[in-house]
Amino acid sequence: MKKISRRRFVEGTSAGIVAVAAIPEIKAQDKPIPTQAGVPRTPIKITINGVDRRVEVEDRWTLVELLRDHLDLTGTKIGCDRGECGACTVLVDGTPLYSCSQLAVWMNGRSIQTVEGLAKNGKLDPLQEAFIEHDAPQCGYCTSGQLMIAKALLMKNARPTRDEVRTAMTGNLCRCSNYNHYVEAVMAAVKA
Amino acid sequence: MTPLKTVGHGTHRIDALQRVTGAAKYTSDVHLPGMLYARVLRSPHPHARIRKIDFSKAMALPGVKAILTHENCDITWSSGDQLGQRRLFNNPVRFAGDPVAAIAAVDRHVAEDATRLIEVDYEVLPFLTDVEEAVKPGAVAIHEGGNLSLNNQRQPAPQTYKRGNVADGLKAADRVFEASFTSAHHNNAQLEMRVSIAEWSGDRLTVHAATQGIANCRTDIAKDLKMSADNVRVISEYMGGGFGNKNQCQDSDLMAALLAKQAGVPVKLEFTRKEDFVAVHGRWSSRQSYKVGVKNDGTLTAIEFTALTGAGAYRKGSCDLSGTEIYQVAHLETSVSPVYTNTAVAANYRAPAYPQGVFGIESLMDDVAYAVKMDPMEFRLKNMTRKFRDQTPYTSIGLEDCIRKGAEKFEWTKRWNPVPGSGAGPVKRGAGMAMGMFGSGLGRSSAVVRLDGQGQYHLHVGVTDIGTAAKTTMGLIAAEELGVPLEKVNVVWGDTDTCPYSVGESGSRTTVQTGMAVIEAVRDLKKQIAAKGAPKGTEVLTAMATTNPPPLQGQSRNSFAAHFAEVEVNVETGRAIVTRFVSAHDSGRIVNPLTAQSQVQGGAIQGIGMALHEELLYDKRSGLPLNAGYYGARIMTHLDAPMVDVVWIETDEPYGPFGAKTLGEPTIIPAVAAVANAIYNAIGRRVKSLPITRDKILGVLA
Repeated sequence: MKKISRRRFVEGTSAGIVAVAAIPEIKAQDKPIPTQAGVPRTPIKITINGVDRRVEVEDRWTLVELLRDHLDLTGTKIGCDRGECGACTVLVDGTPLYSCSQLAVWMNGRSIQTVEGLAKNGKLDPLQEAFIEHDAPQCGYCTSGQLMIAKALLMKNARPTRDEVRTAMTGNLCRCSNYNHYVEAVMAAVKA
Repeated sequence: MTPLKTVGHGTHRIDALQRVTGAAKYTSDVHLPGMLYARVLRSPHPHARIRKIDFSKAMALPGVKAILTHENCDITWSSGDQLGQRRLFNNPVRFAGDPVAAIAAVDRHVAEDATRLIEVDYEVLPFLTDVEEAVKPGAVAIHEGGNLSLNNQRQPAPQTYKRGNVADGLKAADRVFEASFTSAHHNNAQLEMRVSIAEWSGDRLTVHAATQGIANCRTDIAKDLKMSADNVRVISEYMGGGFGNKNQCQDSDLMAALLAKQAGVPVKLEFTRKEDFVAVHGRWSSRQSYKVGVKNDGTLTAIEFTALTGAGAYRKGSCDLSGTEIYQVAHLETSVSPVYTNTAVAANYRAPAYPQGVFGIESLMDDVAYAVKMDPMEFRLKNMTRKFRDQTPYTSIGLEDCIRKGAEKFEWTKRWNPVPGSGAGPVKRGAGMAMGMFGSGLGRSSAVVRLDGQGQYHLHVGVTDIGTAAKTTMGLIAAEELGVPLEKVNVVWGDTDTCPYSVGESGSRTTVQTGMAVIEAVRDLKKQIAAKGAPKGTEVLTAMATTNPPPLQGQSRNSFAAHFAEVEVNVETGRAIVTRFVSAHDSGRIVNPLTAQSQVQGGAIQGIGMALHEELLYDKRSGLPLNAGYYGARIMTHLDAPMVDVVWIETDEPYGPFGAKTLGEPTIIPAVAAVANAIYNAIGRRVKSLPITRDKILGVLA
């Protein structure tokens, strides 16, 4: 198993961001997000799918709420909003986290990758290709989370075994129970 | 069976790209300008009368725009109760989770804060959580007329079926067996929670709904809000699963519509995961008792079956039980009584009446087979159904092949222990099997197909595709009948303004019913092309069909299945895991083997969860649910799921689109019993109660 140290991994991600940022850079929010009067707010700097953004968030917002309700990144789903199902999994500085269980203010200075950031230059990630090929999504509601947890695994372990895939992904529920096809798809992406 | 060009070949979903890039728009992804967010306040008591609701503090909170309670909203939610006894907001409240108020505010936090400011004065009433206690004389009545609900003909009597005379059948038997089984209420637990977004434009209402059927959702909303269906539009572009709990219209659709009307702006109402577990619905629980007569050579002579089923607080589902029909037996009497308790409502969950009923009968038949010293597989081959209710021929039946070919793939003779429980332990291995069947009737549905001047076909079907790949299936059927590649067919779905009536994804009927409408519409279009020539420029040819076939005369159309499970049971810890699983299915011709395989594997794994862990538990002293949510209710995970091998028995079926029969629901039916029988084969003791948790395994071994 090839191990990538956290430091090398973080550096790797930063390089990726520079490359993406070289393409037309989208600046911070043009329009401020409307917030409720009297509710504590904090301005944060956050990188989302390689784009630097400055946003003012209510302190009570979760990360998934920021992404879905305020930045229109609805590819990340909420399946339980209580840290049980994994549908909201995103990568925070390369680490897979349930975005329903992270406050948006904690993300200051962090880099977030969501399902919308998986395809690069119009080319799907090999995982996305394999998910299509092996009919991994049934209803598709857990799929973004399954993709992100698989992505995180493959970044740490480029050649996982079938059991390592199942173990890594076990915090991501699929009630259509298409677990067989999810694992097959990840194994196919590994081979690709 | 003749191979076809497009149908019958594994094909990616036409919307797979949207599903893997996050581009697919589910109901909760819809944001309308000026939209409010709503939350529901629910009863904390299992049974209580509301004396007074004071919402002045809630309404005084800045940002709160609308509120509904039983005082200002007297709407009957007709698809929430087959007997019409359920309002959107009920007084008395009859289970912990019954809605008391719904409130709309500028964002979800304000709405949540506001629900906490509502003050409700409750008169707490005695409650019941147990079906057997609910039918005892003197039990507190949850509804007028008592706790025994009406049968499906609305008579105060059980649901019954009878052929022959059980007393005669038992007299003719060499041996008589009796046993009782129970099964738990467990949740559909689809990943997408109940969500509705309602918007009014004058008298016209648009509801973005997470629904399994846009057409029925629309007519139900219109009925309950006393509107013309022409003024209701339902949109469901992508749908995150339902397994039966998003049929028809939901209370959230009506609440969102009424809040939006009051506030004058669109309203989004999304339930929480906890609400989804306690306040939507799950599969009905059951208490089943059987008496079975058998001859020494293993021939069945009689089955007597009585049961109570747990409807919960309202009668949302049929609460019936099925299973005995998979056996050939001259004398059969069944009686099922739905019972009210002050617990979560029960209704449709994938093959609603089947897996728990099949668990009962197939567990008992397993015991009978061992008792008459027969291999359980041979016993089933001897006694399995050959005609529907021993009388009506099937249009096609591949059950014997399901058993034989499934057994071959599973290596039954190698894996099954002739002496149950004979393994050395502590980890004991065993194998079990069970069979199942499900109706696959033809019925009404519509389709529209257009050909434009650029040579593109557009197929309009009222499906929502709840994960079944229904859109793709409809496209494949159209492409096959047109003789063009799938890419030439643009499928339009999910909006009642652009799509004709479809039965909706319930009863596993879409492929068969809407598929037939697609074929007929295409045939009409081909006739038009032959007569008028292909359209040019801005010309369009349009054809539509509504199929409304008469019932099959003297025949029954059914799908069949046999499942095989191998388990390892640790007799020291009680832990059971499924190590191998084979699902063999006769669903006629398989339209798309790739997506059909997903469904079969998923159905089996759901069944394994139902067999081993899943249950919504209630505290009998407080009447409150104990384990709502994914962790608590122990929903299947990646690590729990075995590899499921699929065997197709493609019978030559004369009816249906290219001979396709029903598939989605049969996939769960025999799975539960197969696991239960494998556990018996491993440990030599029978657990008669679902789920078969560790404590129960240790209990029967003690």
